[in-house]
Amino acid sequence: MRVRARLVPFVALGLAAASLACTRPPEATRGGAAAPPRRLAVMAPAAAETLALLGESARIVAIGDFVEPPAGRSLPRLGAYDAPSAEALVALRVELLLTSASAAGSAERAALERLGIRVLAVDTATFAGTLDAIVEIGRAVGRLDAARELVASIERRIEQVRATAAALARRRVLVVVGRDPLFVAGPGSHLDELVTLAGGTNVAADALASYAMVSLEAMLERRPEVILDSADNRATGPFGAILGEWGRWPFLPAVAEHRVFHLEPSRLLIPGPRLGEMAERMGRLLHPEAFGAPRADDYAPAAPPAPGGGR
Amino acid sequence: MTSGSPLARRLALWIPALASVLLATALVALATGAARLDLGSLLGGGLDAGARAILFDLRLPRVLAAAALGGLLSVAGVGFQAILRNPLADPYVLGVAGGASLGGVAALVAGAPAVLVPLAAFAGALAALAAIERLAAVGGRLSIYSLLLTGAIFNAFSGALIYFLQSVASREQLQSIVFYLMGRVPAARGTTLALLGGSGLVVTLAYFASGRAFNALSLGEEGAAQLGVDVERLKRRTFLLGSLATALAVSAAGMIGFVGLVVPHLLRLALGPDHRILVPTAFLGGGAFLVAADLGARTLVAPGELPVGVVTAILGGPFFLLLLRRKRGSEHDR
Repeated sequence: MRVRARLVPFVALGLAAASLACTRPPEATRGGAAAPPRRLAVMAPAAAETLALLGESARIVAIGDFVEPPAGRSLPRLGAYDAPSAEALVALRVELLLTSASAAGSAERAALERLGIRVLAVDTATFAGTLDAIVEIGRAVGRLDAARELVASIERRIEQVRATAAALARRRVLVVVGRDPLFVAGPGSHLDELVTLAGGTNVAADALASYAMVSLEAMLERRPEVILDSADNRATGPFGAILGEWGRWPFLPAVAEHRVFHLEPSRLLIPGPRLGEMAERMGRLLHPEAFGAPRADDYAPAAPPAPGGGR
Repeated sequence: MTSGSPLARRLALWIPALASVLLATALVALATGAARLDLGSLLGGGLDAGARAILFDLRLPRVLAAAALGGLLSVAGVGFQAILRNPLADPYVLGVAGGASLGGVAALVAGAPAVLVPLAAFAGALAALAAIERLAAVGGRLSIYSLLLTGAIFNAFSGALIYFLQSVASREQLQSIVFYLMGRVPAARGTTLALLGGSGLVVTLAYFASGRAFNALSLGEEGAAQLGVDVERLKRRTFLLGSLATALAVSAAGMIGFVGLVVPHLLRLALGPDHRILVPTAFLGGGAFLVAADLGARTLVAPGELPVGVVTAILGGPFFLLLLRRKRGSEHDR
């Protein structure tokens, strides 16, 4: 009897281990589920814009803190991080989570997959990645052809800008994304690509990162001819063709020729399906003589339309 | 000062020596930076507007601020090491810096305009100072043991609140907070510079006057009292002045680490433990140290910039260890 008593814990452990090994993942992640997801949670603003352009906003049931709710609807918020709480997602019966690709959230994402919630993490940082993301989102919601057409039209607009700018003399451009300390758009950022294709040279092209902290005097030494300042994160501005703090340095060509623009961050900083629009905007800011003068909505979004309209 | 002559000779040697080091470092720092300035033309009077702006509007205020901050933090460090009689003491250990950081971070998260952040930090520091002094007083006496404990707990508490504020901050605010906490030498305008430099001089003079008392204090509080030192008054005055100095420094520049810890030790290893020598040389040497560190921060990864606290740690740590080993080694040989 004593011998058998001692065996009990081992048998119990063995049974527990066996039961764990036999655990099967929930139905939804075993592939083969053909129907596109009908309940979406969106953490990345660019993904929300893509869904709106594909006409699929109605499927969104929850959004992250930085996402604008589709016109007129009030949706539950999921927080600011790239991987929101699993409990909230399960409670809302979310089937697909659209978020930005980042290494930090990968552990939580694996946990979500085990709960049967598909996660699509898209590149929202680079130029090429943004266009690929549109196609991936289109495929995930079953609107692949529409997504491909959308990407094609964006690429046409970009090529148009590139062609117009090809013959123009390059202007030296500084794109500021943060002040105190000074943060600028460096190599590899979508802003750097926009500057290049619209007829400019990024003065911070040798910075250490795509969003880099740099020394002010180094940027001043390079005598930028255009300064795009999106450092003011508050919605109040002021935005427009104003000198602001850059007026302290009258020896800069950008200041002397009044090519300093303060832009609301959504105008250029967040890549997404509006890349074509951003390319044209960059053209107007860098070379108004070829693309036309900058418009009011190049500095800040136009006032929202009266309620009752919209998608 | 009855032992005037040898002291006066040593002061007459070391103060000009360190002042020259500070001046030389400052000149190199003015001449060097991420932008290449043709200073030969400065002497010929023909510097263009851009180079003039970089030199006088960017580099000069920053070098002056670094000199003032370095001096302030180092002198405060000497004072704290004297009254706490602990080699690990630095200006941040007693909790005032935690209060200052908390005030600054709270202002950043509340979205206050940039000019209010140092004021909020200073207010936080004063609140912390009042609380710590009240909590650490035991029967009217300022107990060193209580001071250290209260300070440590206060720093931990402020740290926890700062983490909480970081967790509710937006992404852009988070970036500002991280760099604020890492510490940066500001390109300070006139009033800030006057404030930092002026208080540095005041603290240096006050601590210099207490120099003999500090020397006596190294024998222990009873030993010093037997030599006629009013220990309570000395502790309280040193604590208050040092904390105010730290509050000013952290409000202006965030938590630049290592300066207040390493510079007093370096000078003590090189010049001996007499506080009448240490105090003025720490003011000058600390200034030179931070000017050099800020120069590194501005140039090592040009056109990028490093937070200056990174450079002070990289400069100060290994050099200090090296000096310590050589001193220890020479002691073993005797």
